[in-house]
Amino acid sequence: MNLANLHMLLNHLPILGTLITLGVFVVALIGNKNDLKHACLTLFAFIALAAIPAYLSGPGAQAAIQESPDVSMAMIEAHQGAALLAFIFMELTGAAAVFSLWRFSSTGKWLTASARASLAVVLAFALVTAGLMGIAGNTGGDIRHPEILAGQEPSSAIGVMGASLIKSMEHFVIDTSQWIWPILEDLHFIGLILLVGTIGVLNLRVLGFMKRLPIAPLHRFIPWGIAGFIINVITGFLFYLGMPGFYVLNFVFQLKILAVLLAGGTLLLFYCTSAFRGLERVGPGEDAAASAKLIAACSLLLWLVVIILGRYIPFGEVT
Amino acid sequence: MAVPVIFQTIEESGLSVWIRDSPSIFAFWFILSLHAVGMGMLVGASMIIDLRILGVAKDLPIAPLKSLYRIIWSGFWVQVVTGTLLVIGYPTKTFTNPDFYIKIVLIALAVVVMQMMKNRVFSDPTLSEPAMMMKGKALATWSLVLWVGAVTAGRLLAYTYSYIKYDYKG
Repeated sequence: MNLANLHMLLNHLPILGTLITLGVFVVALIGNKNDLKHACLTLFAFIALAAIPAYLSGPGAQAAIQESPDVSMAMIEAHQGAALLAFIFMELTGAAAVFSLWRFSSTGKWLTASARASLAVVLAFALVTAGLMGIAGNTGGDIRHPEILAGQEPSSAIGVMGASLIKSMEHFVIDTSQWIWPILEDLHFIGLILLVGTIGVLNLRVLGFMKRLPIAPLHRFIPWGIAGFIINVITGFLFYLGMPGFYVLNFVFQLKILAVLLAGGTLLLFYCTSAFRGLERVGPGEDAAASAKLIAACSLLLWLVVIILGRYIPFGEVT
Repeated sequence: MAVPVIFQTIEESGLSVWIRDSPSIFAFWFILSLHAVGMGMLVGASMIIDLRILGVAKDLPIAPLKSLYRIIWSGFWVQVVTGTLLVIGYPTKTFTNPDFYIKIVLIALAVVVMQMMKNRVFSDPTLSEPAMMMKGKALATWSLVLWVGAVTAGRLLAYTYSYIKYDYKG
């Protein structure tokens, strides 16, 4: 399997997933079904995670097919541009969904004004994302299926806009100043500390260390961890946009992304949804359930693996 | 200023050569990875105490956070051991970079601040939570500032050196 296969495997999920989840979300909002809203928010957050490897595998797919005579570079660029915009709005949708989940998973209050406002924000981002995903899918299909094109050259204004955004990001990271990269690295480390500091302490408590602490109030630190995760997704993507050639085929980087998805998925599923409610009843001196301890151990181990693989990325450079 | 010859002596030692040049995955990159993990323990645990003292997670009792000092000190010793090994690998590169001294001073100050916090806030069981927050507020703010400074200075070591090895300017 090469990265073109992987890209095809990964890229349908964010496109179809967004459209389907958006439809169900609208039904949930109209019918005011709280469980369904909860499920849709969780799905949006998961699709936002799944969109990460879908985007990252794109340049690998490009490397695999760009030599073919029937593949047009302009089409690839338009697709990449549309995909970046779709990706950015997907991540915004996911971040808004996680915020709503965290905020309302423990209180269970969905009808307050602020709850409605945050759901409206998710809906607005999801609508824009769905449109952009459609364009990303279309322009992507054009690359390999020229027979479905109506005219000669496809003109996607969104794709062209996104492509110029990619160029200006690359320029910003590499050419603006020699200090941009070090500053991004520094922010990436600060994000790491926010993430593993908060999630690490929560995991250790669930595992039975620092037992005098009740678990429920530790939930208040999760937004700080999520903030760290968001800082690192942004700075990480800027590294990738600055030097895609360094990362695309780097197997240590690929493994790190896999570990990030598993660790991020664990964080999302168990600490940002109502799955956390069982843990909130664990008071000072009490033990968490064995299943919760297993999840905490996995989460701790996965974040450790993420840090270690991150530092090994230069080791995996393809020369 | 001439670079002291002792750095060259260290660079020629077996341990230094192994750390720097060994193709083993347990040499340089592994030590560097552990240095990042130790940072997460040391600074991450300190940050939880600082944030709580500054008012985040107000329902969380403060006194039991004292047990985080075990993680802080474990992380600290991981950093001392891995940091020393990294310096043995690149003594000239390290000691000719002014940024390294800034980093060490910031770490020393941050550790002193964390110990002051332990003595003033966590060692007096008669203190109420508002009193603990009052007493710790300035220290917690300084702790966060100093740790961000130390991490930044550490990260910038990779971009500010003037030598790579004793007779090899970078």
